[in-house]
Formats: sequence, structure tokens, C-alpha cells
Amino acid sequence: MSAKKIDRLVKMVNQISLNMRSNGEEDFVAVQVSEHLEKFWSPPMKNLISEQIDKEDLGLTSISYSAVKKLAAIQKMK
Amino acid sequence: MLEFYEPQADFGTPEIESETMVTLSIDGADVTVPEGTSVMRAAAEKGIKIPRLCATDSLKSFGSCRVCLVEIEGRRGFPASCTTNVEEGMQVVTQSSEIGKLRRNVMELYISDHPLDCLTCPTNGDCQLQDTAGEVGLRSVRYGFEGDNHLVAEKDESNPYFTFDPSKCIVCSRCVRACEETQGTFALTIDGRGFESKVSAGQSEDFMDSDCVSCGACVAACPTATLTEKSIIEAGKPEHSVITTCAYCGVGCSFKAEMKGNDVVRMTPYKDGKANEGHACVKGRFAFGYATHKDRITQPMIRESIHDPWQEVSWETAVNHTAKRFKEIQSKYGRTSIGAISSSRCTNEEVYLVQKMVRMGFGNNNIDTCARVCHSPTGFGLKTTLGESAGTQTFASVAKADVIIVMGANPTEAHPVFGSRLKRRLREGAKLIVIDPREIELVNSPHISADFHLPVRPGTNVTVLNALAHVIVKEGLQASTYIEDRCEMDEFEKWSAFISDDRHSPENTEQFSGVPARDLRAAARLYAEGGNGAIFYGLGVTEHSQGSTAVMAIANLAMLTGNVGREGVGVNPLRGQNNVQGSCDMGSFPHELPGYRHISSKVTRNLFEGEWGVTLDPEPGLRIPNMFDAAIDGEFKGLYCQGEDIAQSDPNTQHVETALSSMECLVVQDIFLNETAKFAHVFLPGASFLEKDGTFTNAERRISRVRKTMPPLSGKADWEGTMALANALGCKFQYDHPSEIMDEIARLTPTFNGVSYAKLDKLGSIQWPCNDHTPAGTPVMHVDEFVRGKGFFAITEYVPTEERANRKFPLLLTTGRILSQYNVGAQTRRTKNSEWHEEDTLEIHPHDAEERGIKHGDWVGIKSRVGNTVLHADVTSRVKPGVVYTTFHHPVSGANVITTDNSDWATNCPEFKVTAVQISKVTAPSRWQERQKMFNTQQQHLLAKARH
Repeated sequence: MSAKKIDRLVKMVNQISLNMRSNGEEDFVAVQVSEHLEKFWSPPMKNLISEQIDKEDLGLTSISYSAVKKLAAIQKMK
Repeated sequence: MLEFYEPQADFGTPEIESETMVTLSIDGADVTVPEGTSVMRAAAEKGIKIPRLCATDSLKSFGSCRVCLVEIEGRRGFPASCTTNVEEGMQVVTQSSEIGKLRRNVMELYISDHPLDCLTCPTNGDCQLQDTAGEVGLRSVRYGFEGDNHLVAEKDESNPYFTFDPSKCIVCSRCVRACEETQGTFALTIDGRGFESKVSAGQSEDFMDSDCVSCGACVAACPTATLTEKSIIEAGKPEHSVITTCAYCGVGCSFKAEMKGNDVVRMTPYKDGKANEGHACVKGRFAFGYATHKDRITQPMIRESIHDPWQEVSWETAVNHTAKRFKEIQSKYGRTSIGAISSSRCTNEEVYLVQKMVRMGFGNNNIDTCARVCHSPTGFGLKTTLGESAGTQTFASVAKADVIIVMGANPTEAHPVFGSRLKRRLREGAKLIVIDPREIELVNSPHISADFHLPVRPGTNVTVLNALAHVIVKEGLQASTYIEDRCEMDEFEKWSAFISDDRHSPENTEQFSGVPARDLRAAARLYAEGGNGAIFYGLGVTEHSQGSTAVMAIANLAMLTGNVGREGVGVNPLRGQNNVQGSCDMGSFPHELPGYRHISSKVTRNLFEGEWGVTLDPEPGLRIPNMFDAAIDGEFKGLYCQGEDIAQSDPNTQHVETALSSMECLVVQDIFLNETAKFAHVFLPGASFLEKDGTFTNAERRISRVRKTMPPLSGKADWEGTMALANALGCKFQYDHPSEIMDEIARLTPTFNGVSYAKLDKLGSIQWPCNDHTPAGTPVMHVDEFVRGKGFFAITEYVPTEERANRKFPLLLTTGRILSQYNVGAQTRRTKNSEWHEEDTLEIHPHDAEERGIKHGDWVGIKSRVGNTVLHADVTSRVKPGVVYTTFHHPVSGANVITTDNSDWATNCPEFKVTAVQISKVTAPSRWQERQKMFNTQQQHLLAKARH
């Protein structure tokens, strides 16, 4: 796994979170971000970020971190 | 729809709409027509032809030629039938010996100053003057031809597409009026008085040096051979015609392709085409020569490496080779290692087949379309707020708009036929607000002046839209009853609190946008209180890192003011290419099946699985930028790219080139060896729009037929090429005609349930949704309720782009289009349109130029964080200080060498419109340009080897 690849995904999630941040409370926004990722990202992208989230500090914002945790849970259930 | 050539019916004066009907008698026959109709038109509708020269039904009556005289009981003299309106009980006589004599006398005067060269005249047999002379029975001219006349007046051959021969002019003013009323350019005038009167382009200039935009409206209006297409002069009169749809911009003009055998000799805009109603632009009317250009590649080709010469092969060999390579790649790298990109230039049926092949034959959802890089935020934003990923109106609806916002669009250049409609409405008095970093033509042009030009700094659209909404809410100008009836009130209250915050006030947003607060407040009041408010927007809205937010903010504004759901209002995305709407409708995005239904929906998948006989992957596939990244990461190795030139049109060219170079099997299907094809391993020859049947869907959701005028030069239309490849992959596609593909689309897509070729032939065109509820289609959407039920006010927080100007890159580059060229220029560069635009230039404000010692015409280097290129400078105040602008029509310009990977947060639509750059005077092309030149030479050489 290249560092660049995960960095790209982190940048994308953070950008989505930033643009959605005013939609409501943090938990609510995290769910929306997670749903967005689930709806629009391909499985390799979802899997990679879900696998990496707890291995290192990826630089995710607080909303992004919560969103990816939720995404990881969904991925696990698949 | 193949017809023997016949000029289109002309009723002499325009159709009038009125609820009051008037009955009169013409030559003893009763005729009932709307009040306000001319006697000439009433007669024509009864099949009674009154001779005329200065009248045509696309122009207001003028009454100058005096040929259309009639007798009316109870009236003195012989009134002109074109300028006399019908009255109840009126008794009209159109033929009598006295009328005949008068008409002959008039014609005699005209002909006394007209060359008598009918047999060798290019419009022989298609000339209204000739016909009228025959109709009135003119047999001789008593005045002789020796006196003063205009017979030796010099021809103007400057325009590449038509000649102006003043010796044949009868000064009827039809050309001048067409330029004013139809096109709205006011380039022509009648210069002089009496015998000295003559048609003049500009200040007695050549047509090419004048303001003429070469739309051809004057040529179409001319009743003589004064203004004649050069193609007709060369080839003669057409002998049959086929009604089809233009393959250029998203207006989707309807045309009669006028033919001699298999050769198009003229494209005449079709009067019954509802998108254009008989008008056209320089591209659609004249720039069709690319279809038979010598650069066309008509034989499939393969090669192992991009450094090998091409080898011409049969279709069968090419598709079998491709299928084998794709299967090998999937077996080595996995099912998701290949994908496809379809094109908004191809038909609905073709893009439908590409996504079907990907989902069935590739077994994944790695299908994306070029709408990714233009209007994907429109799909996301309008679906979220209104419930449907499409514009809400007809183009004709603008005629009922009172206040028009044009934002990030340049209709007179990029959507010229709609631009003319818009100008007409503005001349009638509608108010105009332009939100654009540049002073586009609409801001200040003949008889048009924008009420407000809000010169937004690139990247800050959302602040302006939020500020407009802020003013409307804070000043209580919103349409409260409409909102209560039609929108989700909880969400509205939440949004209202958000937008009311002082950070969205014009005074606070001015620091970001550069738009003066006072102008913004006044513009907001005008939009909210000025009557029917219509918003038209383009890529200047979508191609930003906040593109989706801006689209939602536009929808919010329209709902806030009650401006959705009737004529004259609405949210109208101006689509760049001919079939952007259609390609999106047809399931070309990696997360959606046709009809914008998410791939994760089991119900939807079951429907398609039942029809196609396969199990579909329920997960979204890769978007175009994801494909490039995955290719560079070594995970994506095979791509089928139909009709799209990603190497030129997508941002950060060097990144795209690296991705394309990483592929093991790149298949390009196109009509030319485009920039992407130079990286390809398989080339499948494409077919132009003249060589195939199908449908395009324009920006109004209007589905129109594309009809074959000539056999495909390669032997296969694009849908047949895709079908051959799909079948080589093991799919069992069996279509004998694209109508069968449309039938399948209709079976599977609720918004298309009622669409068929038979219905399209009957109705001419259909705006979807078309189903049991709306069998004739839906001109205006969201009439009683929004497609999603209640309208949704989305929160639209402004998040600045990461692409910031600083000391190293102090200027912001934004990009756009020019009238004569189209997109990457592959088509228009191979026509005489290049005489208007031989190269892309860099517009820079005089202040910024002077600071850098740059003069008009100097070579300038444009350096961004990702690359640099060199263009000639165009020093102009069209751009404001701090902003520079260019177009991207020529590959060598490398406009996208400097644009970045930044993209819209929701859709990854690239941020073409904001790139921080530095400009400096240089003396040589950039390294990339040198490399591009060498690579191009090498690839042309490898192509030449295949052809000889």
C-alpha cells in the first residue's frame, strides 16, 4: 500500500467532512459522510481506508474519523 | 424522415399566440386565425400563397417590397398583406388584374437592377426572386439595363462559408433584420439612402472584419443569391434531406441535413425543431466538414506498444484481440482492473450499450462518462434538492422570464442559439444579472446591458449565492407560502437559521468574492421581487471544489423565491456537449443504473438482471480520477474509451499521461487519432453523427432523433462497434437497429417508459419524463410538487478551495470556450472555423500585463503548482486584475498542463476554473510543449506507416 494512495483518500474524506460540517451535530454529520462514502466510493477505496484507520494516525479530522469508523463497521458486515 | 429536397414552408410572418380568434374571408374562403395574425399568414395557413420578397415567417413584418399587395373590401388602395392584421369579417382578395399589374411593375423595377444570369446562378431553382418573377408573370423589363445600376458591385468572399454578392441584392433588409431579430448581433445595416442604399457589414467592412458571428441567419433569410453558402455554389442544389440533430453543444439544434447522394451540401436549421426553431450557429450550420476530413481513420488498428507502428486489421480481429487482452488483464490483476469511459458526444443508445457491456462483460461498475468533468455536480446537487438530476425548463420558457441570472456561463459563445433567445428576451425588457469573473458579451452588447455584473473572484461562487439568499431571507423577500406548501419545513428552518448568520451578509462575503455588497443586495432584491426569475448556469459553477454546493445553493435560491415549477422560471444547467444530459440519464456513472437509480438498490438490480441475464455487482465502480490514480498505482490496466479525449480535456495533463502510459491495453474509439489515442494499443474507428441512427438528449431533457445520412465510413456505427466488442467478451447483444436499444431503455427506465422511435417520429422530440402519466413528455418539471416530494434546502457552507493565490502564484487562471471552437477542438479545428481562432491565447488585464512588462501578442509563460505552458498574451480588460483566462481548444496550448487535481468534494468534478499561476514574458515554448510536439510527430509517423 503506497502512502500516497491512503493520503489521497484521507484528503478526500476530510474534504467531504469539511463541506458537510455545518449540516448538524458532529455525530449526525459523521453518519452523512459515512453514507456518502458508502454510496460513491468503490470497494477497494472503502476497504483500504477502513483497514488503515486504526493502524496509524492518518490525519483524519474528528468527523472523518467517526465516519470512517462507521464505514469500517459496514464493510465488516458485508 | 428521408425527404426529397423542398425548402421549408414559409408563412410569411411569425405565428401569433392569442386566445381570441378572428374569422375573415380570403378569396372567398373563410379562415379563422388568432387575433394579431397578418393577412399574409392567414392566407398561407389556408394554402393561398401571396407573392412576397421582404417577408419571411422568422422575422417581423416590414412592408418594404410592396409585392404582397392585396385588396380589402372597404379599404382604399392596396394594403401590404404582411403588415395588415386580420379583422373579423374582413374580405380579402389576393389576385386581380390590378393587383397583378402592380406586382409586375414592382418586380420589373427590381429586375431592372439585377443580373439576368439565372441559369448559371448558384441558387437557380431555389431563389425567391426568381420564383416571384414567375408568379407575377414578369415577361420583360421596359427600362433597359444601361442606366445606373449595381451590377458590377464587388463580391465579398471573406467569410469562409458564404459569399456576399451585392450585385444581386434587392435591399429587402431581411439579412439585416435576421442579424438583429434572430441572432441579436446587429452586425449588418443598410448604409446610404435611396439608390445608394446597400447592405453593409459593420462600418462598410468585410464580413470577416465586422462583428458578424457567421451564424448564417442572414444567408438563410436572403431571398436572392446575394448571400449564398459556398458549399451550394460548389455543389449545387441539394436533392434530398434528412432531419437530424446537431452534434455540437447541449442546445441540441434540429437540422435538415441537405444532401447530394451521400454528401452533405448544407445544414439548414429545422424550423419545427423546438430547441432552435430554425436558428443555428457557426458550428452547427457550417462546421460539418470534419465528418469527411482526410484525418478520419476508418480502419481498426492494433499495436503491442505505443512505440510500435499501427497495424490495420479487420473489425473482427480488433475486437477479438481486445477481448483477449481484457480477459488476460482481469485474470492477472482482478475483475476491477478494467473499465470504460463513455462520451457525451455519442448517442443515448451508444452510451447505454457501453455501460451495459461494462456491467455485463467486465463484471464491474467501472464505467464513467465525461460528464464527470463538467456537470456531475449538477446531477448531485439537483437530485439532492429537487429530486431529479436535470434542468427544469424548456429553452422557450426564457421568453416568459422577467429576471434572468446567468452564472458561470457564456451562452453567446458556448450555447449560441440559446444565447440569441436570451438576448431577444433581454431586448424585450427582461432584467439581467451576470455573475462571472469576466465581462462576458451579455454584460454589454448592442441593445443589451446587464443590470448587474457581479464579477466574482474565481472559487467564491458559494459566497455570492449564500449572500443573495441571506439578503432575501433577512429582508423577508422569500416566497413563504410556496415554501410552506412545497418544501420540507424543518429543513427550511434549519437552513434559514444557517443562512441568516451574519457571516453570509454581502458586507462580510465581499472580502472573499470581491463583489461589492451594495450591488449584491440590489441584485438579490431584483431576483426576489422582479417577477419570474430564471437561473442559467454553466461550468463556471460546477467545475470548482465546491461545485455541488454551488448547484445546491442555486436550487435553494430558486425554491426560496418560488421560482420552480412553471414557465419563465427554473434552474437551468447549460450542458457543454450535445448529449451530457443523455449520457448521465443512461447509467454512465459508476454508482447508478439508467434513470439515476443507485446500483445498491436490489429492486433496480433485479430489474436489469432479469433483462440482461447476469448478476450485477452491487458496489460502485471507479470514477475517472480514481481510474487514473489506480492506473498509476498499478491496479487498473485496461480501458475502453469511446469518443472522449481525456488526454486533452482532463486536468493535470501530465498526471493523465502517466496514467495512460501505465495501461496495458488502452482502447480508443474515435473518428480521429486524438491525443488519447496516441497512448492507445487498439484503435476502433468511430462514426460521426451523420453516419448513425440514435437519439441525443439536450439540456432541456429533450430527446431528439439522430438520423443516418450516409453509411458509416468504417462500416460500423459506434453502437455496432461496442456490440461487436461486447459479443467478443461473451455478451450476447443482438440489436438490428438502435430503436431496439431504446425499446430496452424504455422497458427498464420509468422516466423513459413512454419513449419510442415511433413516438419521436410522430412528435418530433420528447422531453422526459415520458410515461403513462405524461405520454407527450414533460416540458416543465416540478409543477405541482418536486420529484422528491418536498423541496430540500441544503446547507451550503462555503469552504475555500485549497488552490490559493500567493506571492509565488499571484494570479488566478480560469478557463472557458469560444464561439467558433468546440471543446477539445477535434471537430472544429478540422473545419474553416479555425480562421476565427487559430490558437488559444491568455487574456490578462492591462494592469497585470504592465506590471510584468507584457505587451499584447507577447509569448507568456503560465506557471502553476503542477506545470507550465506558453501562450500568446491578449491584453484586455475583459478580465479583472488578478484573474487570467484561456481556452482549451488546441492540444498544443496545454491549458490542462497547468490545471490541478483539485476537485469537487461530492463528485470529483475537476476544479478547472481556479488555478493559481504566475505569468512571465518568455521566448520559447514550454518543455511540455516541446515534448508534446515530438510525441505528436512520432505518433503521426507511426500512423502513417499503417496507412501506407
